[in-house]
Amino acid sequence: MQHLTEVELVSHYYHDDDSAVAESHLRHCSECAAQYETIGRVLALVTDAPGPERGEDYGDRVWSRLRWKLGIDRRRRTTWVTGISVAAALAIAFFAGQFWRASRERAVQPTAAVSAEATGSAPVQAAARVRGGMEDKVLLLVVGDHLDSSERVLLELANADPAKGLEIGQESRRAGELVAANRIYRQTAAKNGNERIASVLADLEPVLIELSHAGKSLSKDELLELQKRIEAKGLLFKVRVIGAQTTPGDKPPRISSDTNTL
Amino acid sequence: MTDLAAVSRARGGDADAFRGLVERHSRLVFGVAYRMTGNEHDADDVVQETFLRAYRQIGKFEDRANFGTWLHRIAVNCSLDLLRSRGRYERHHVNDGNDEDGEMTRQYESTDPQPDRLLLSTELKEHVIAALDRLSGNERTAFVLRHFEGMPVEEIGRTLGIQVNAAKHTIFRAVKKLRESLEPLVRSTPCNT
Repeated sequence: MQHLTEVELVSHYYHDDDSAVAESHLRHCSECAAQYETIGRVLALVTDAPGPERGEDYGDRVWSRLRWKLGIDRRRRTTWVTGISVAAALAIAFFAGQFWRASRERAVQPTAAVSAEATGSAPVQAAARVRGGMEDKVLLLVVGDHLDSSERVLLELANADPAKGLEIGQESRRAGELVAANRIYRQTAAKNGNERIASVLADLEPVLIELSHAGKSLSKDELLELQKRIEAKGLLFKVRVIGAQTTPGDKPPRISSDTNTL
Repeated sequence: MTDLAAVSRARGGDADAFRGLVERHSRLVFGVAYRMTGNEHDADDVVQETFLRAYRQIGKFEDRANFGTWLHRIAVNCSLDLLRSRGRYERHHVNDGNDEDGEMTRQYESTDPQPDRLLLSTELKEHVIAALDRLSGNERTAFVLRHFEGMPVEEIGRTLGIQVNAAKHTIFRAVKKLRESLEPLVRSTPCNT
Protein backbone atom coordinates (compact mmCIF):
# COMPACT_ATOMS: atom_id res chain seq x y z
CA MET A 1 0.00 0.00 0.00
CA GLN A 2 1.35 3.40 -0.93
CA HIS A 3 1.15 5.88 1.92
CA LEU A 4 -0.20 9.39 1.62
CA THR A 5 2.49 12.04 1.37
CA GLU A 6 2.70 14.87 3.87
CA VAL A 7 1.48 17.26 1.21
CA GLU A 8 -1.57 15.06 0.66
CA LEU A 9 -2.21 14.84 4.39
CA VAL A 10 -2.07 18.61 4.76
CA SER A 11 -4.27 19.06 1.68
CA HIS A 12 -6.76 16.64 3.17
CA TYR A 13 -6.75 18.51 6.46
CA TYR A 14 -7.76 21.68 4.64
CA HIS A 15 -10.18 19.85 2.33
CA ASP A 16 -8.14 20.83 -0.70
CA ASP A 17 -8.15 17.30 -2.14
CA ASP A 18 -10.36 14.45 -3.21
CA SER A 19 -11.42 13.72 0.34
CA ALA A 20 -13.10 10.38 -0.44
CA VAL A 21 -9.82 8.80 -1.58
CA ALA A 22 -7.84 10.11 1.38
CA GLU A 23 -10.62 9.15 3.83
CA SER A 24 -10.67 5.64 2.51
CA HIS A 25 -6.90 5.34 2.84
CA LEU A 26 -6.86 6.73 6.35
CA ARG A 27 -9.47 4.19 7.43
CA HIS A 28 -7.23 1.33 6.42
CA CYS A 29 -3.73 2.68 7.11
CA SER A 30 -2.92 3.18 10.75
CA GLU A 31 0.46 4.76 9.96
CA CYS A 32 -1.03 7.51 7.82
CA ALA A 33 -3.89 7.91 10.29
CA ALA A 34 -1.35 8.54 13.06
CA GLN A 35 0.49 11.09 10.92
CA TYR A 36 -2.77 12.80 10.08
CA GLU A 37 -3.78 12.90 13.73
CA THR A 38 -0.46 14.51 14.68
CA ILE A 39 -0.88 17.18 12.04
CA GLY A 40 -4.36 17.85 13.39
CA ARG A 41 -3.06 18.17 16.95
CA VAL A 42 -0.27 20.53 15.98
CA LEU A 43 -2.61 22.74 14.00
CA ALA A 44 -5.18 22.67 16.80
CA LEU A 45 -2.44 23.87 19.13
CA VAL A 46 -1.78 26.79 16.79
CA THR A 47 -5.50 27.55 16.61
CA ASP A 48 -5.98 27.46 20.35
CA ALA A 49 -2.87 29.37 21.38
CA PRO A 50 -3.96 32.75 22.67
CA GLY A 51 -2.37 35.78 21.08
CA PRO A 52 -1.44 38.96 22.89
CA GLU A 53 -4.46 40.49 24.51
CA ARG A 54 -5.81 43.98 24.58
CA GLY A 55 -7.71 45.31 27.57
CA GLU A 56 -11.37 46.18 27.84
CA ASP A 57 -10.55 49.80 27.11
CA TYR A 58 -8.85 48.98 23.82
CA GLY A 59 -11.84 50.02 21.74
CA ASP A 60 -11.92 53.33 23.54
CA ARG A 61 -8.24 53.89 22.87
CA VAL A 62 -8.69 52.97 19.21
CA TRP A 63 -11.54 55.44 18.96
CA SER A 64 -9.53 58.20 20.64
CA ARG A 65 -6.89 57.97 17.93
CA LEU A 66 -9.33 57.31 15.15
CA ARG A 67 -11.63 60.27 15.69
CA TRP A 68 -8.86 62.71 14.79
CA LYS A 69 -8.17 60.93 11.56
CA LEU A 70 -11.84 60.79 10.72
CA GLY A 71 -12.39 64.43 11.57
CA ILE A 72 -15.69 63.41 13.10
CA ASP A 73 -15.93 66.11 15.72
CA ARG A 74 -16.62 69.35 13.92
CA ARG A 75 -14.94 71.36 16.63
CA ARG A 76 -11.82 69.28 16.14
CA ARG A 77 -11.75 69.77 12.42
CA THR A 78 -10.08 73.10 12.89
CA THR A 79 -6.42 73.02 12.10
CA TRP A 80 -3.87 73.12 14.80
CA VAL A 81 -2.90 76.70 14.14
CA THR A 82 -6.51 77.79 13.89
CA GLY A 83 -7.24 76.10 17.21
CA ILE A 84 -4.41 77.87 18.92
CA SER A 85 -5.42 81.19 17.38
CA VAL A 86 -9.02 80.79 18.50
CA ALA A 87 -7.92 79.84 21.99
CA ALA A 88 -5.59 82.82 22.17
CA ALA A 89 -8.31 85.19 20.93
CA LEU A 90 -10.72 83.84 23.52
CA ALA A 91 -8.13 84.19 26.24
CA ILE A 92 -7.56 87.82 25.28
CA ALA A 93 -11.30 88.42 25.28
CA PHE A 94 -11.53 86.75 28.66
CA PHE A 95 -8.86 88.92 30.24
CA ALA A 96 -10.28 92.05 28.59
CA GLY A 97 -13.68 91.16 30.04
CA GLN A 98 -12.20 90.75 33.47
CA PHE A 99 -10.50 94.11 33.25
CA TRP A 100 -13.70 95.77 32.04
CA ARG A 101 -15.72 94.15 34.82
CA ALA A 102 -13.24 95.18 37.52
CA SER A 103 -13.32 98.80 36.31
CA ARG A 104 -17.11 98.82 36.19
CA GLU A 105 -17.48 97.26 39.63
CA ARG A 106 -15.26 99.92 41.12
CA ALA A 107 -17.45 102.58 39.51
CA VAL A 108 -20.83 101.18 40.62
CA GLN A 109 -19.82 99.87 44.05
CA PRO A 110 -21.40 102.70 46.08
CA THR A 111 -24.69 102.51 44.13
CA ALA A 112 -24.82 98.73 44.44
CA ALA A 113 -24.20 98.92 48.15
CA VAL A 114 -27.08 101.33 48.60
CA SER A 115 -29.30 99.25 46.36
CA ALA A 116 -28.42 96.05 48.16
CA GLU A 117 -29.14 97.65 51.47
CA ALA A 118 -32.52 98.79 50.21
CA THR A 119 -33.65 95.64 48.43
CA GLY A 120 -31.64 92.86 50.07
CA SER A 121 -28.44 91.30 48.77
CA ALA A 122 -29.98 88.45 46.71
CA PRO A 123 -30.09 90.26 43.32
CA VAL A 124 -26.49 91.39 43.68
CA GLN A 125 -25.38 87.86 44.55
CA ALA A 126 -27.37 86.48 41.63
CA ALA A 127 -25.71 88.94 39.27
CA ALA A 128 -22.32 87.91 40.60
CA ARG A 129 -23.21 84.27 40.03
CA VAL A 130 -24.19 84.96 36.43
CA ARG A 131 -20.94 86.81 35.83
CA GLY A 132 -19.00 83.96 37.41
CA GLY A 133 -20.84 81.48 35.23
CA MET A 134 -20.02 83.41 32.07
CA GLU A 135 -16.36 83.60 32.98
CA ASP A 136 -16.30 79.89 33.61
CA LYS A 137 -17.92 79.19 30.25
CA VAL A 138 -15.27 81.20 28.43
CA LEU A 139 -12.48 79.56 30.38
CA LEU A 140 -13.94 76.09 29.87
CA LEU A 141 -14.25 76.68 26.15
CA VAL A 142 -10.65 77.70 25.63
CA VAL A 143 -9.30 75.09 28.02
CA GLY A 144 -11.40 72.42 26.27
CA ASP A 145 -9.71 73.15 22.95
CA HIS A 146 -6.34 73.33 24.62
CA LEU A 147 -6.84 69.94 26.27
CA ASP A 148 -7.98 68.39 22.99
CA SER A 149 -4.79 69.55 21.37
CA SER A 150 -2.70 68.36 24.30
CA GLU A 151 -4.42 64.99 24.28
CA ARG A 152 -3.39 64.45 20.68
CA VAL A 153 0.23 65.06 21.58
CA LEU A 154 0.03 62.78 24.62
CA LEU A 155 -1.65 60.03 22.59
CA GLU A 156 1.16 60.02 20.07
CA LEU A 157 3.61 59.58 22.92
CA ALA A 158 1.58 57.04 24.86
CA ASN A 159 0.95 54.83 21.83
CA ALA A 160 4.49 54.92 20.49
CA ASP A 161 6.60 51.79 20.72
CA PRO A 162 9.48 52.47 23.14
CA ALA A 163 11.57 49.87 21.34
CA LYS A 164 11.61 52.03 18.24
CA GLY A 165 11.97 55.53 19.66
CA LEU A 166 9.88 58.25 18.06
CA GLU A 167 10.17 60.95 15.45
CA ILE A 168 8.52 63.88 17.14
CA GLY A 169 9.41 66.95 15.11
CA GLN A 170 5.77 67.87 14.61
CA GLU A 171 4.70 67.00 18.16
CA SER A 172 7.60 68.96 19.60
CA ARG A 173 6.58 72.03 17.64
CA ARG A 174 2.97 71.63 18.76
CA ALA A 175 4.06 71.20 22.36
CA GLY A 176 6.03 74.43 22.11
CA GLU A 177 2.92 76.24 20.90
CA LEU A 178 0.89 74.75 23.72
CA VAL A 179 3.27 75.64 26.56
CA ALA A 180 2.55 79.36 26.59
CA ALA A 181 -1.21 78.86 26.37
CA ASN A 182 -1.04 76.22 29.09
CA ARG A 183 0.69 78.64 31.44
CA ILE A 184 -1.95 81.34 30.91
CA TYR A 185 -4.86 78.94 31.39
CA ARG A 186 -3.29 77.39 34.48
CA GLN A 187 -2.79 80.80 36.12
CA THR A 188 -6.29 81.89 35.20
CA ALA A 189 -7.87 78.69 36.46
CA ALA A 190 -5.96 78.96 39.74
CA LYS A 191 -7.01 82.57 40.14
CA ASN A 192 -10.66 81.71 39.51
CA GLY A 193 -10.57 78.77 41.90
CA ASN A 194 -10.84 76.07 39.22
CA GLU A 195 -8.54 73.79 41.12
CA ARG A 196 -9.14 70.67 39.04
CA ILE A 197 -8.29 72.41 35.79
CA ALA A 198 -5.32 74.17 37.37
CA SER A 199 -4.04 70.87 38.73
CA VAL A 200 -4.27 69.03 35.41
CA LEU A 201 -2.64 71.92 33.59
CA ALA A 202 0.12 71.97 36.20
CA ASP A 203 0.76 68.27 35.59
CA LEU A 204 0.64 68.77 31.85
CA GLU A 205 3.03 71.71 31.66
CA PRO A 206 6.36 69.96 32.46
CA VAL A 207 5.59 67.23 29.92
CA LEU A 208 4.83 69.81 27.24
CA ILE A 209 7.97 71.76 28.11
CA GLU A 210 10.13 68.67 27.97
CA LEU A 211 8.61 67.63 24.68
CA SER A 212 9.05 71.10 23.21
CA HIS A 213 12.77 70.89 24.01
CA ALA A 214 13.16 67.37 22.70
CA GLY A 215 13.96 68.33 19.12
CA LYS A 216 13.14 66.04 16.24
CA SER A 217 13.28 62.66 17.88
CA LEU A 218 13.10 60.91 21.20
CA SER A 219 15.45 58.08 22.05
CA LYS A 220 14.04 54.85 23.47
CA ASP A 221 14.98 55.90 27.00
CA GLU A 222 13.55 59.39 26.63
CA LEU A 223 10.32 58.05 25.22
CA LEU A 224 10.05 55.45 27.96
CA GLU A 225 10.68 58.09 30.60
CA LEU A 226 8.00 60.38 29.21
CA GLN A 227 5.53 57.50 28.91
CA LYS A 228 6.20 56.60 32.54
CA ARG A 229 5.54 60.17 33.61
CA ILE A 230 2.33 60.32 31.63
CA GLU A 231 1.20 57.03 33.08
CA ALA A 232 2.33 57.71 36.65
CA LYS A 233 0.28 60.87 36.83
CA GLY A 234 -2.64 59.35 34.96
CA LEU A 235 -2.23 62.39 32.77
CA LEU A 236 -3.97 61.15 29.67
CA PHE A 237 -6.97 60.05 31.69
CA LYS A 238 -7.18 63.36 33.56
CA VAL A 239 -6.88 65.35 30.35
CA ARG A 240 -9.64 63.26 28.76
CA VAL A 241 -11.95 63.61 31.73
CA ILE A 242 -11.50 67.35 32.08
CA GLY A 243 -11.55 67.72 28.30
CA ALA A 244 -14.86 65.85 28.08
CA GLN A 245 -16.36 67.98 30.84
CA THR A 246 -15.30 71.14 29.10
CA THR A 247 -16.71 70.13 25.71
CA PRO A 248 -19.94 72.07 25.26
CA GLY A 249 -21.35 69.80 22.56
CA ASP A 250 -20.67 66.59 24.41
CA LYS A 251 -21.61 67.43 27.92
CA PRO A 252 -22.63 70.78 29.28
CA PRO A 253 -20.24 71.94 31.97
CA ARG A 254 -21.66 72.02 35.42
CA ILE A 255 -21.32 75.51 36.75
CA SER A 256 -22.07 75.70 40.39
CA SER A 257 -24.07 78.63 41.60
CA ASP A 258 -21.71 79.42 44.39
CA THR A 259 -18.33 78.10 43.34
CA ASN A 260 -16.20 78.12 40.25
CA THR A 261 -15.23 74.48 40.41
CA LEU A 262 -16.38 72.08 37.75
CA MET B 1 -27.98 48.40 19.40
CA THR B 2 -27.27 45.73 16.78
CA ASP B 3 -24.39 46.06 14.32
CA LEU B 4 -26.81 46.65 11.47
CA ALA B 5 -28.65 49.38 13.32
CA ALA B 6 -25.35 51.02 14.23
CA VAL B 7 -24.15 50.81 10.63
CA SER B 8 -27.37 52.37 9.45
CA ARG B 9 -26.99 55.27 11.88
CA ALA B 10 -23.29 55.63 11.12
CA ARG B 11 -24.15 55.99 7.44
CA GLY B 12 -26.34 58.90 8.43
CA GLY B 13 -23.39 60.60 10.10
CA ASP B 14 -23.94 59.39 13.66
CA ALA B 15 -20.39 59.31 15.03
CA ASP B 16 -21.46 57.72 18.30
CA ALA B 17 -22.95 54.78 16.42
CA PHE B 18 -19.66 54.21 14.61
CA ARG B 19 -17.84 54.61 17.88
CA GLY B 20 -19.96 51.77 19.26
CA LEU B 21 -18.89 49.55 16.37
CA VAL B 22 -15.24 50.43 16.96
CA GLU B 23 -15.49 49.62 20.64
CA ARG B 24 -17.33 46.36 19.95
CA HIS B 25 -15.02 44.99 17.28
CA SER B 26 -11.57 46.44 18.03
CA ARG B 27 -10.24 43.49 19.97
CA LEU B 28 -11.34 40.97 17.37
CA VAL B 29 -9.81 43.04 14.59
CA PHE B 30 -6.61 43.22 16.61
CA GLY B 31 -6.58 39.42 16.81
CA VAL B 32 -6.83 39.12 13.03
CA ALA B 33 -4.20 41.80 12.49
CA TYR B 34 -1.81 40.21 14.95
CA ARG B 35 -2.12 36.79 13.36
CA MET B 36 -1.41 38.32 9.99
CA THR B 37 1.47 40.60 10.96
CA GLY B 38 2.93 38.78 13.94
CA ASN B 39 3.73 42.11 15.53
CA GLU B 40 1.66 43.96 18.12
CA HIS B 41 2.65 47.43 17.00
CA ASP B 42 1.83 46.64 13.38
CA ALA B 43 -1.42 45.07 14.50
CA ASP B 44 -2.40 48.27 16.30
CA ASP B 45 -1.71 50.22 13.11
CA VAL B 46 -3.79 47.77 11.11
CA VAL B 47 -6.68 48.18 13.53
CA GLN B 48 -6.62 51.94 12.95
CA GLU B 49 -6.43 51.57 9.20
CA THR B 50 -9.20 48.98 9.19
CA PHE B 51 -11.69 51.24 10.91
CA LEU B 52 -10.58 54.18 8.82
CA ARG B 53 -11.38 52.23 5.66
CA ALA B 54 -14.57 50.84 7.12
CA TYR B 55 -15.78 54.34 7.91
CA ARG B 56 -14.99 55.59 4.44
CA GLN B 57 -16.56 52.59 2.75
CA ILE B 58 -19.49 52.09 5.04
CA GLY B 59 -21.82 53.19 2.26
CA LYS B 60 -20.75 50.10 0.32
CA PHE B 61 -21.60 47.71 3.12
CA GLU B 62 -24.57 45.56 2.19
CA ASP B 63 -27.12 45.10 4.91
CA ARG B 64 -27.46 41.41 4.14
CA ALA B 65 -23.84 40.86 5.07
CA ASN B 66 -22.41 40.39 8.52
CA PHE B 67 -20.59 43.52 9.67
CA GLY B 68 -18.01 41.53 11.62
CA THR B 69 -17.17 39.42 8.57
CA TRP B 70 -16.94 42.52 6.39
CA LEU B 71 -14.64 44.19 8.90
CA HIS B 72 -12.60 41.01 9.17
CA ARG B 73 -12.01 41.06 5.46
CA ILE B 74 -10.94 44.68 5.53
CA ALA B 75 -8.51 43.86 8.35
CA VAL B 76 -6.98 41.06 6.29
CA ASN B 77 -6.59 43.39 3.31
CA CYS B 78 -5.06 46.12 5.47
CA SER B 79 -2.63 43.59 6.93
CA LEU B 80 -1.69 42.40 3.46
CA ASP B 81 -1.15 45.97 2.33
CA LEU B 82 1.09 46.65 5.29
CA LEU B 83 3.11 43.48 4.73
CA ARG B 84 3.33 44.25 1.02
CA SER B 85 4.48 47.81 1.66
CA ARG B 86 7.30 46.51 3.80
CA GLY B 87 8.22 43.72 1.45
CA ARG B 88 7.57 41.23 4.18
CA TYR B 89 6.03 38.68 1.86
CA GLU B 90 9.55 37.89 0.83
CA ARG B 91 11.16 38.27 4.22
CA HIS B 92 12.75 35.13 5.49
CA HIS B 93 13.66 34.49 9.03
CA VAL B 94 17.32 33.98 9.82
CA ASN B 95 16.59 30.38 10.66
CA ASP B 96 14.72 29.80 7.46
CA GLY B 97 16.90 27.56 5.38
CA ASN B 98 14.94 27.41 2.15
CA ASP B 99 17.09 26.76 -0.87
CA GLU B 100 16.37 27.87 -4.41
CA ASP B 101 13.91 25.07 -4.94
CA GLY B 102 11.97 26.07 -1.92
CA GLU B 103 12.81 22.89 -0.10
CA MET B 104 13.93 23.12 3.46
CA THR B 105 17.54 22.10 3.78
CA ARG B 106 18.40 23.26 7.27
CA GLN B 107 16.81 22.34 10.55
CA TYR B 108 15.78 24.95 13.05
CA GLU B 109 17.80 25.72 16.08
CA SER B 110 16.75 23.31 18.72
CA THR B 111 14.29 24.86 21.09
CA ASP B 112 12.75 21.62 22.21
CA PRO B 113 10.91 22.35 25.40
CA GLN B 114 11.10 20.25 28.51
CA PRO B 115 7.88 18.23 28.73
CA ASP B 116 7.26 19.03 32.38
CA ARG B 117 7.19 22.74 31.61
CA LEU B 118 4.77 22.54 28.75
CA LEU B 119 1.63 22.33 30.79
CA LEU B 120 1.79 26.05 31.32
CA SER B 121 -0.37 27.69 28.75
CA THR B 122 1.83 30.75 28.66
CA GLU B 123 4.73 28.63 27.57
CA LEU B 124 2.63 26.91 24.97
CA LYS B 125 1.66 30.30 23.68
CA GLU B 126 5.27 31.39 23.51
CA HIS B 127 6.24 28.25 21.64
CA VAL B 128 3.46 28.74 19.13
CA ILE B 129 4.42 32.38 18.63
CA ALA B 130 8.05 31.37 18.19
CA ALA B 131 7.06 28.64 15.73
CA LEU B 132 5.02 31.11 13.67
CA ASP B 133 7.88 33.59 13.77
CA ARG B 134 10.14 31.03 12.17
CA LEU B 135 7.99 30.99 9.06
CA SER B 136 9.06 33.13 6.15
CA GLY B 137 6.83 36.06 5.27
CA ASN B 138 5.16 34.18 2.43
CA GLU B 139 4.68 31.08 4.50
CA ARG B 140 3.15 32.92 7.40
CA THR B 141 0.77 34.87 5.18
CA ALA B 142 -0.29 31.81 3.19
CA PHE B 143 -0.73 29.75 6.34
CA VAL B 144 -2.73 32.37 8.22
CA LEU B 145 -4.96 33.01 5.22
CA ARG B 146 -5.66 29.30 4.81
CA HIS B 147 -5.75 28.20 8.42
CA PHE B 148 -7.35 31.11 10.23
CA GLU B 149 -9.15 32.96 7.48
CA GLY B 150 -10.26 29.94 5.47
CA MET B 151 -9.21 31.54 2.20
CA PRO B 152 -9.18 29.12 -0.77
CA VAL B 153 -5.75 28.18 -2.13
CA GLU B 154 -6.56 29.79 -5.49
CA GLU B 155 -7.25 33.11 -3.84
CA ILE B 156 -4.12 32.86 -1.72
CA GLY B 157 -2.16 32.33 -4.93
CA ARG B 158 -3.71 35.44 -6.44
CA THR B 159 -3.08 37.43 -3.28
CA LEU B 160 0.58 36.46 -3.13
CA GLY B 161 1.04 36.63 -6.89
CA ILE B 162 2.07 32.99 -7.20
CA GLN B 163 0.67 29.87 -8.92
CA VAL B 164 -1.89 27.74 -7.16
CA ASN B 165 0.55 24.86 -6.78
CA ALA B 166 3.17 27.18 -5.34
CA ALA B 167 0.60 28.51 -2.88
CA LYS B 168 -0.29 24.96 -1.89
CA HIS B 169 3.36 24.09 -1.31
CA THR B 170 3.92 27.30 0.64
CA ILE B 171 1.14 26.29 2.98
CA PHE B 172 2.58 22.81 3.20
CA ARG B 173 6.04 24.13 4.07
CA ALA B 174 4.51 26.29 6.78
CA VAL B 175 2.68 23.32 8.29
CA LYS B 176 5.80 21.19 8.05
CA LYS B 177 7.82 23.80 9.94
CA LEU B 178 5.13 24.21 12.55
CA ARG B 179 4.97 20.48 12.98
CA GLU B 180 8.71 20.25 13.47
CA SER B 181 8.60 22.96 16.10
CA LEU B 182 5.48 21.96 17.91
CA GLU B 183 5.15 18.19 17.60
CA PRO B 184 7.20 17.59 20.78
CA LEU B 185 4.63 19.63 22.68
CA VAL B 186 1.76 17.64 21.31
CA ARG B 187 3.43 14.37 22.21
CA SER B 188 4.32 15.47 25.69
CA THR B 189 1.00 16.98 26.65
CA PRO B 190 -0.92 14.26 28.49
CA CYS B 191 -4.34 15.40 27.37
CA ASN B 192 -3.26 15.12 23.77
CA THR B 193 -1.90 11.60 23.92
